[in-house]
Parts: sequence; C-alpha cells; structure tokens
Amino acid sequence: MSRMNPIPVTLVTEPGTLVPLDGDTALIRLKANSGHGHADGDTCVACAARTDVRALLYNLLEEHRREMRPAFSRVVVDASAVADKDQVVAALTGKLPAQALRDHTVARMFYLVG
Amino acid sequence: MSPSPSTDHPALPDWNEVRAALSAAMADRILVLDGAMGTMIQRLGLTEENFRGTRFLDWSHPLKGNNDLLVITEPKMIEDIHYAYFMAGADIVETNTFSATSVAQADYACEEAVYDINFQGVVVARRAALRAEAEDGRRRFVAGALGPTNKTSSMSTDVNSPGHRAITFDELVTAYGEAIRGLVDAGADLLLFETITDTLNTKAGIFAAQRLFEERGIDVPIMISGTITDLSGRTLSGQTPTAFWYSVRHARPLTIGLNCALGADLMRDHIAELSGVADTFICAYPNAGLPNEMGAYDETPEQMASQLEAFASAGLLNIVGGCCGSTPDHIRAIAETAARFAPRKVPNADKLLRLAGLEPFTLTSDIPFVNIGERTNVTGSARFRKLITAGDYTAALDVARDQVANGAQVIDINMDEGLIDSKQVMIEFLNLLAAEPDIAKVPVMIDSSKWDVIEAGLKCVQGKALVNSISLKEGEEQFIHHAKLVRAYGAAVVVMAFDETGQADTKARKVEICARAYKILVEEVGFPAEDIIFDPNVFAVATGIEEHNNYGVDFIEATKEITDSLPHVHISGGISNLSFSFRGNEPVREAMHAVFLYYAIQNGMDMGIVNAGQLAVYESIDRELRDACEDVILNRRPDATDRMLELAERYKGQAGGEAKAKDTRWRELPVGERISHALVNGITEFIEADTEEARQTYDRPLHVIEGPLMAGMNVVGDLFGSGKMFLPQVVKSARVMKQAVAYLLPFMEAEKQANGEASGRQSAGKVLMATVKGDVHDIGKNIVGVVLACNNYEIIDLGVMVPTQKILETARAENVDVIGLSGLITPSLDEMVHVAAEMEREGFDIPLLIGGATTSRVHTAVKIHPRYARGQAVHVNDASRAVGVVSNLLSDETKVTFIEQVRADYAKAAAAHERAEAEKRRLPLEAARANAFKPDWAGFTPTRPSFFGTRVFEEFDLAELAQYIDWTPFFQTWELKGRYPAILEDEKQGEAARALWADAQKMLQQIIDEKWFAPKAVVGFWPANAVGDDVRLYTDESRSEELATFFTLRQQLTKRDGKPNMALSDFVAPEGIGKPDYLGGFVVTAGLGEVAIAERFERANDDYSSILVKALADRYAETLAEFMHMKVRRELWGYAADETLTPDEIILETYQGIRPAPGYPAQPDHTEKTTLFRLLDAENTVGVELTESYAMWPGSSVSGLYFSHPDAYYFGVAKVERDQVHDYAQRKGMAVEEVERWLAPILNYIPNAVAAE
Repeated sequence: MSRMNPIPVTLVTEPGTLVPLDGDTALIRLKANSGHGHADGDTCVACAARTDVRALLYNLLEEHRREMRPAFSRVVVDASAVADKDQVVAALTGKLPAQALRDHTVARMFYLVG
Repeated sequence: MSPSPSTDHPALPDWNEVRAALSAAMADRILVLDGAMGTMIQRLGLTEENFRGTRFLDWSHPLKGNNDLLVITEPKMIEDIHYAYFMAGADIVETNTFSATSVAQADYACEEAVYDINFQGVVVARRAALRAEAEDGRRRFVAGALGPTNKTSSMSTDVNSPGHRAITFDELVTAYGEAIRGLVDAGADLLLFETITDTLNTKAGIFAAQRLFEERGIDVPIMISGTITDLSGRTLSGQTPTAFWYSVRHARPLTIGLNCALGADLMRDHIAELSGVADTFICAYPNAGLPNEMGAYDETPEQMASQLEAFASAGLLNIVGGCCGSTPDHIRAIAETAARFAPRKVPNADKLLRLAGLEPFTLTSDIPFVNIGERTNVTGSARFRKLITAGDYTAALDVARDQVANGAQVIDINMDEGLIDSKQVMIEFLNLLAAEPDIAKVPVMIDSSKWDVIEAGLKCVQGKALVNSISLKEGEEQFIHHAKLVRAYGAAVVVMAFDETGQADTKARKVEICARAYKILVEEVGFPAEDIIFDPNVFAVATGIEEHNNYGVDFIEATKEITDSLPHVHISGGISNLSFSFRGNEPVREAMHAVFLYYAIQNGMDMGIVNAGQLAVYESIDRELRDACEDVILNRRPDATDRMLELAERYKGQAGGEAKAKDTRWRELPVGERISHALVNGITEFIEADTEEARQTYDRPLHVIEGPLMAGMNVVGDLFGSGKMFLPQVVKSARVMKQAVAYLLPFMEAEKQANGEASGRQSAGKVLMATVKGDVHDIGKNIVGVVLACNNYEIIDLGVMVPTQKILETARAENVDVIGLSGLITPSLDEMVHVAAEMEREGFDIPLLIGGATTSRVHTAVKIHPRYARGQAVHVNDASRAVGVVSNLLSDETKVTFIEQVRADYAKAAAAHERAEAEKRRLPLEAARANAFKPDWAGFTPTRPSFFGTRVFEEFDLAELAQYIDWTPFFQTWELKGRYPAILEDEKQGEAARALWADAQKMLQQIIDEKWFAPKAVVGFWPANAVGDDVRLYTDESRSEELATFFTLRQQLTKRDGKPNMALSDFVAPEGIGKPDYLGGFVVTAGLGEVAIAERFERANDDYSSILVKALADRYAETLAEFMHMKVRRELWGYAADETLTPDEIILETYQGIRPAPGYPAQPDHTEKTTLFRLLDAENTVGVELTESYAMWPGSSVSGLYFSHPDAYYFGVAKVERDQVHDYAQRKGMAVEEVERWLAPILNYIPNAVAAE
C-alpha cells in the first residue's frame, strides 16, 4: 500500500463551498460532534473511529479494497459542520498523535492540498 | 456522602476453584457480564466535590471525569451500580478500574492512588456481589478490569517518526503490575484486559500478571477482550482477530473476545472468526449500537438483545454483556435472551505452530516448507549489513519488504554485527518495521546469539514471534530461564543442537541433544511442543576437509529421527551455511540449496532460513550439476568434492535469468529436457527441430504432447501459479507450445488416416471462450485462453461479436465443460445477463465465467448470478485467477465447496450493494436540473474554432506519435501492475516488465519502419448552444437551423453543500443569452492494419505477438486521440493556443477542456455515437463502423466530443431515475424500453416493475 501514489485531500471548512466532484472523487462529511453519550470531551475508541477523519479515510481504502466503491484519485473532506477545524487539519498533516496503525497508513496514503 | 472505603483484608478466593466453577458454568449456559459503568455514572450528574471526596479535597488538578476515583470517594454509588447489574442478571461485574494505571492516571496526577483504586474497586464490587447472592442465592463473580492505558507501545503516536515510542514494554509491565497487585490483593476472581487497542500493551500486562502469579504461586483466570473499530476488521494496532488470538494465547486466557466499538451486528463476523479458532471460551460485549448523530444510542435493550440473539443462536457465545451505552435494562434483556440458548462448545485446536504478525500464520500440513527470509540478517547479507551500519533504515526496510513480496512467510532479523549496538539497532529496526503493514503482516524471527538482544526484540513485537535461538550451551539452568521468558513474551522458539560440550555435528549428537532439550521444555517448563523448532545445525559440505563430507547426511538423517520421535516439533536450519565454500558462485549455491532441501524436506524439515527470491527448482537444475550436488550432499562418492569444484568453475559468473537465456549449454541436454527448457524460457528458436527429434523417439506424435510438452507446461503452470512467472513470460511459453503442437498436427492427421482411429488427447477440460455480441475487444479473453491452454485445457475460441445462440450451440455440440464470456463496453454487461438467462432456459448447468474490464464481482453477483440458478456464474477478474477457478469448478472434490464459497460471497456482495444503493438518495430530475452547474457566462467568451464542418487527417508520423504513448496502461494489459517507468525497476515484476518492454520496442520499431498502421482521424466543429440538458448544433453561425442534437444525462445523486448536479450540457453556453458557443467531435483509429497483422501472427501460432500488436494498436489509438486533442486545443479550435505542455504533462491531463466519449461515465449512453458518427461520416472518412452494441470496429479506435469550457471536467453520471429516463426518451424520440435497455447498467430502478404495477 505504501508504494501507491498518495491521494490528495481537499478540505472544505466553510458551508456551501463549491468543490467539483466527479467519479474519481470520494467525499467524506465529518459529523458535528462525537455523537456519544460520554461525559464532556470524553470519547471511547468506538466513537473516535466514527469522527476521526483518519479512520474515515482508512475506511475509504478498505471500501475500495472490498469493491464496495470505485477507485478514487481525490478525496474531498467536508468539515464545515465541525467546531474544531484545527483538529482536522492537524489530523491531515500528521500533527495529531496517531491512535492506531491505520493512522500511519493514512498519513502515507493521503495529503492535504487545501 | 458514601461510607468510607474499606481497609480490611478481604478473604482471597481459591482461583483454581473459581476457574473450575466458571468453566463448569460456561459448559452449561451462557454467562452474563455487566453493562457500561460510564453511562450509569453520567446519569448520576456528579460534581467536582463527588470526585474529590475527603481524600482529594485539596488536589492540584480538577478531578471531575476521573470516574475510577469514585470507588474511593463515592463507593456506595458504585456499589449500587454493580448491584443493579447483578440483579439485572449479570453473573460477573467488572470493577470500576478501567483507567486505574499510573499511565492513565497521570492525566490527573493521581498516580499514587492507583493501588488503592484497584483494591477498593474490587472491594465495592464484592460488596455488591455478596448483597446479590444474599438476595437470590446465586453465585456472583468480580472481574478486575484493566484498560488499555492511553499510550501505545507497538506503534508511534507521531506519523512522521514511526520508530518513536511513547512508552516501553518495561514501563507497562511496571504500571500493569501495580494495578494487578491491587486487584489481586483485594481478591478479584478474574483479571479482565479489555478494550485492547494495542496487543503489545496487553502482552506487557500478561507478562506482569504471570510474574506476580509465579511469585505468589497462584493462577488467577484471565479474560482478554480486544476492540475493532474500522471496516478493515482489524484491531487498532492492525491485527486480524486470529492474529490477535495467536498473540495472546500464551496467557491461556479463560476467555477471548471483543468489546466496545461498533454495534453487536458489526462485531459478529469478528466474533465468529475468533469462535472458530480459539480453543477457549468466547466473551462478547458490544456497545449498545453505534451512537447516532444526536449523541444518543440507537439501540433499545430489546434491539440489542435481539442482535445478540443471532450470536447466541449461532452458538458463538460463552459470555455476553454490554459495553458503552448499555444499562441494567439492556443486561436484563440480554440475560433473558442468553438463557434461551445453549453455550458455544469449545473446539479442540490441533497442535500446530501458530505465529502472528499483523496476520496469522498457521503451519498446517498444506504447507510443505516455511520460507524464512534471510536477507534481513547482517551476518548473511553484505548488502543489508552495509545499509544497517550506514543507518539507511529506509532501504533496509525495502529489503524486508522484498522478502515478504517474494514469498517469505516469516522474516529473520539479525543485527549481530560487531561495529553496531546490536540491541539498540534491533529495537529501532523492529519499531520501524511495525509501521509497515506490508512487512509487519508476517511474523518475525528475532535472531541473535545474545540473549539481551533477543529479549529487547521480544519487547517490541505485538505478534507471536519466533526466537532464534536458545540452547543448552550454558547449561540447563540458563536454558530453562530463557525458555520461560520466551514463553512469557508469547513467542515460539528455535532450539539449536548445542550443549555444554559443543555444537552437534553427528547424527547421534544432534538427536541426543534435541531429545534432552525436548524433555526439559515440555516437562519442566511446560512449553507447548508445537512451538519448538529444532535447528540440528546445517554445516558446510564440500570444503575439502574429509570430516565435513557427511554433514549433509547427518542433518537429513537426524531430521528424520527427531521428527519421528519427538511429537509436534519442527525442524529448521540456516541453509546458506551448506554452500559456504562456494561463496560468489550463485548458480552452484542455489543448486546445492535446492538439492539439500529436496531431501531434507522429505525427511521432515519444514522450515528454513532461505533467500525467498532465489530458490532454484530441483527439477530445473541442470542434470550434471544436480548429480554433482547430490553426490556431495548425500556423500555418495569419495571424489564428490573434487568433481563439484571442477564443475563449479563452469557455472561461475552467471547470474540467474538473463545469463541463462544466452547460455547455449542447454542444447546439449537430452531432448525432453531441452523442450522443457524452451517452454520455461519461452525460446522458439529450436522448438521444431527438438519436436521432430522427440517425435522420432516416441511411438506416436501424441505421446510427445502428452509427454515432454505437457510436462514442461506443467512446470510453467506451477511457476505462474506460485507467482514466480509473470503473464508475458507465460504467453511466450504458450507460443512455444503451440508451435510444437502445430508441427505435430500433420503427423497426427496422417496417423489418423492410416489407421482410422481417433487419437484425441486427454485434456483437463474443454473451455469455450467468446467476446459477446456487439463487442470487439478480445485481448483479455485471448490472454485467459492462453493461460488456460498452458494448463492443459482445450480452448474453443469463438472470437469476437459472438451471438448467444452460437455460443450455446457450440457449447452443446462440443460438449464443453465451461463457458467464458468477455466484454469491455457496458452494453456487453447486459448481453452477458442475456447469455446467462438463455443458458438457464436451455437447461445448461456448466459453469459460466465472466470477465472483462467493465465486469465486476458486484455486477456478476447482482445481475448475472441470479439469472443462472442451474449452473454457476463466476467473475474472474484476471488471468492469473482463471486456472484456479476453472480447476476448482471442474474438480469433483472441490466443486461443491468452491461454489458454496462463491455463492456466499455473492450473497454478501449483493446485500452490501443493496445497502449501499439504498443509502444513496436520488433527486427528482427537476430538482437536479435546478441544481445544475452554472458557470459565469457573462465573464467567458467561447473561442470560435478555425473551421466548421469536418476535416480528415491522415499520414501521421508513427515515430512522432510514439513519443506521446502513455505506457502504464500497456503494462496493465499484461497484468503487470505499476507505473511506467518505475515498473521496469520493480523488484518482483521488473524482469518480466523489461523483457516485455524490449519486445514492445522491437515491434514498435517494426511498426514504424514497415508502416503497419495507417492511423486516421476525423475532427469536426459546429456552432452549438445548450438547450436544457441537450446540446443543439446548428448548420451555421446564424444559428437558425438545427443540424443535430447531442442528448446528455444529468446526475441525480443527492448533493450537499451546493455541489451541482452535473450534465455535459452545462459546459456549453445556453441558447438565448447571446453567447455563441461551439462543440467539437472526433473519431480516431489505428486502422485496420492491426487486425490483419494480429491474424497473421495467430496463424503462425504466435499468440504473444498477436496480443502484443493489438495492445500496441490500442496505445496508438489512445495516443492519436490525445495528440489530436492537443492539436485541437492549440490550433484547430485554438482555445488554448498558448498551451505548452510536455508529453508527460499531457499524460497527466493538466490541460483545459475535455473529450468525453459516449458510453463512458459522463454520458453513459452508447447510442449517442450514432449522431457523432453521422456528423463526422466516420465510416467513409476514417473507416470506423459501429457494431450493434455501438462498439467501434476496428477495435483500436477512440471517439468523443470536445468541450472547451475551462471548468469542464470528467464526472460520472452514476445512476438515473425513471423520471429522467422518460424525459430523455421523449427528447431523443426513442422508446422508453429501448432507452432502458441501453442504460440498463445505470438505472436506479427495475424497469419491469412498471409493467407489474
């Protein structure tokens, strides 16, 4: 996997931004909150995987591997609903601490372009 | 305020009795574990004061959220929660100590409270248990919970520094040790490692627990529960469920299972996998479903219970409970459900060596020999040593990666080099390796002569590793000490035949030492026999020293006796030692290794440290060399060494493949071996002469085919099947075969006429292959045919554009065993469905293979498979899979299970497809149109093309065009995957790619010199404006008279955040805004020359060249399309007159404007080609026709429309709804049914449903 060409990720942070989508582009929409009934700010590994952009990018690779989605050469991440956008940028630029081996894979397979 | 915590010394349980009681109970019924603690605490709405209590009143850090502290500060509240779970039906509750390690408590500066939290955690849970038992008399258990900590030892938190570790194994042993002491001192019945995110952390926990148990002479039952949170079905540290189980199995846990993460439904497959492999009890406690977007859990107690019912009814469970979000109500519902089902029966596991990296490795009897990669050993590889001493870890990792790619099932890592800090380098390398999934998937062998290096290595790997090696060299005490530690770190071990007096050289010594070591390991240490690998020492032979002459025989005979007398053990060895005296002479060394292994494996050797990329095949070694090797290895004659040395001189300096091809010594071999050599190496030069010679020595010409020719092809088939040969090489082999058979045919005919008997040869099966009606593409089909023919299948190839009836008639007349269909354009998908339905109707039951670029597993599963219930449709995605699929389908032994697998897989794919489709909401056409893409037309003036109407281009310079060829797809045609030019240097495929490249360049030169192709192009431009979703063309700039209309389709997917629903017409200025716009169109072709030349090659039995010329013609057509597009942009239309791009940039398509083709994603309707071809008069201008399925003939042709707008891009229309199809049919003046037929692959509804309504 590490030998493949890295895939550019475009980050959308403002609602209503126009981004061209085509058959080669995969879209991820990040949810507004962790969606979980833990105490404030707490997460468990399950809900972290639902909101962490890295886990969602990894799932894209996995979906493709299982032929659940066509090949894609670009990803658009729509983070307009997310309060802490810096966190998303940190995750996509390798600045957020990795929590799982998949985070390393994602860091090699994807790069943020804007 | 709760009562103050207990300080009494509780009575400790008899843990052996606990284990027995739980085991007996689990054999009888499914036990129930409690639900979430966090969810219940949160409901209490506690404040900072509750968390502080009196003990932490003046604490420096805020403590709210440190739930574990509540066992000290609010013990009654926690006890009541436990009590509620017990009374809801739980047999076991977990203590509220999930984060009670010094690592996790550091966040609150509460490290000093860790022991107390764990101790009090058990105390409050025990109180609840006693209350519940007093209530109803049922025994309750307390499991001491151990969370994952918030740091990871098997991977880095910094993706830019993958070798870094935030915590070490030793630190974790200390931290877990403290927590475990608290739990055990307070009398926890069990220890539960839960929510495991890093297996190495847990291994440290297990290590700490076992050390405490050994000190105290106790054995507390351990439960282990991992977590899987993403689609890959792996733990957070990247292991598969089975690999995870193998990695912790040494803890002899009472239960293994999963918790947290995903809902019950999504956990099921993983629990089923564990249930199948684990010879212990299974415990599952999922979250109460996934949290929904509102932050609440979706699942009610009843829903959760009913999902878990599916687990229970399938016999997967021994213990069940709930994790995050579950409450006593959930547990009550689960307990009621669990009570209705029998518990899972614990299966027996065979005593097999089970190792793990990220993936499991099981040494079953199907694996004759385990390749342990030796290239990552500084003592064995000079190159690796240089890389390591120079600190070039990146290149060093590549060495490891290549070993795995070349088939090493385990990689040996050895850093024993005097000039480096072996221990530190071992740690650094293993840590880096852990972040490379394509390497870390295999288990590692930690190889060192120094115990401290081995131990340091063991602390770095989360999987189950192999240790190489320990021995009796320093006496029994040390041996036992090391063996116990290996076991505690969860590894298997290589034991070298070495004792206090030295290394074993004779058979007797080897056997004696191994037998002694076995007895100690199995009887004293309790080491599992299947985890023991003996290395009886491979020593160099043919050294010139007489005592060494019998070393090979000693090893081989000792191997036999050891494996016969010591049950379950394995034999390994470092093979390269054997040929030590022939260093620098690789051909001889390879041959010696192959011969040695040939005999050692027969006698029980099942593992070896070898260069996985460099193993000769015993049968393919030159006879003379092989005999000489056997003489020295088997010590068959006194002068063996001298003869070997003499012979070796002649082989010196050769380096594998290329040298062999130029080497003509093979011409001196007996004829059968010459034929075999020619087949394996694809040499046609001598094949007719050799075939003739063979014919004269055999009774009948048929015997030549069935004898040496098939024998050679079997070798080719095996090499291809095992990934040691690549497609272009196989096709070349087939060419040799075909020419030999062609030579024999006249003789067979003559024989038949002479004695009138049928002399048909016995084939493995008859396969009918055809490209379906309306489609002309056949490269892939031809390749599959060749590969199958190589494996002794008889191929009946009906060619291209074959109607269904002809396929079925031929199949019946020829009594074929399999039908294979191929197609490249989307209408062929429907044609294949039709063939399947007709086969069903006519009562066929033979397998139907589906292949070709647009086919897919999902399409086959959803559309073709259901139409052919009598037989089985199977999607074969590449040629390399074809042989496996066909042989499985034609074998009486495997057919049933294979078809069952395919059906299960298709059922899964179809279900997944349905779910995915259901989730995609489509918009009504009107809404989609309202959300069309609307460029700013006011700010853009389309450029007027330099001419209107059409213009034809011929007389292309083939050499100039060749510069623009994008070669990557060419290699893909041959199933060589990778980008050009990097593919030429690819470690694995490079050799095959370079040979193919050389052949292609040679043919390309011939194409250019002899003008094989006469490419032509026709281009046209017309005034145009968009009208609704269509593009109207006018006869002239007055735009008063309509010339033609191109109809386009609009995306109907629900889009968010203002993303438009695209149609191609959006890129053309709409009528009535006063913006004159234009549209272009083109058809280009490499010409008919390809067809004639390909046929010429086929007639000459040269499929290789035939496929090659077709592939090159395809490249020419694509290149011409790209070339013309450039000309159009810069000159003919001229909207980008100032564009300057290099050929490389053109391949990357960084220019303005697009050239989409009808039938492809942006406009999936193939019938639009009719309009394009009419406007361009393509049949007359460039000689390209359309078939009934709108494929272009000749096949090496490309057509499309030109759009110039700067925002134009290639999008996919994807699925369309009924409303658009009706609207489109009306606009186009076609019947709805007809449109539905052509758009079948993209309809988002079932057309027939209308008639049914």
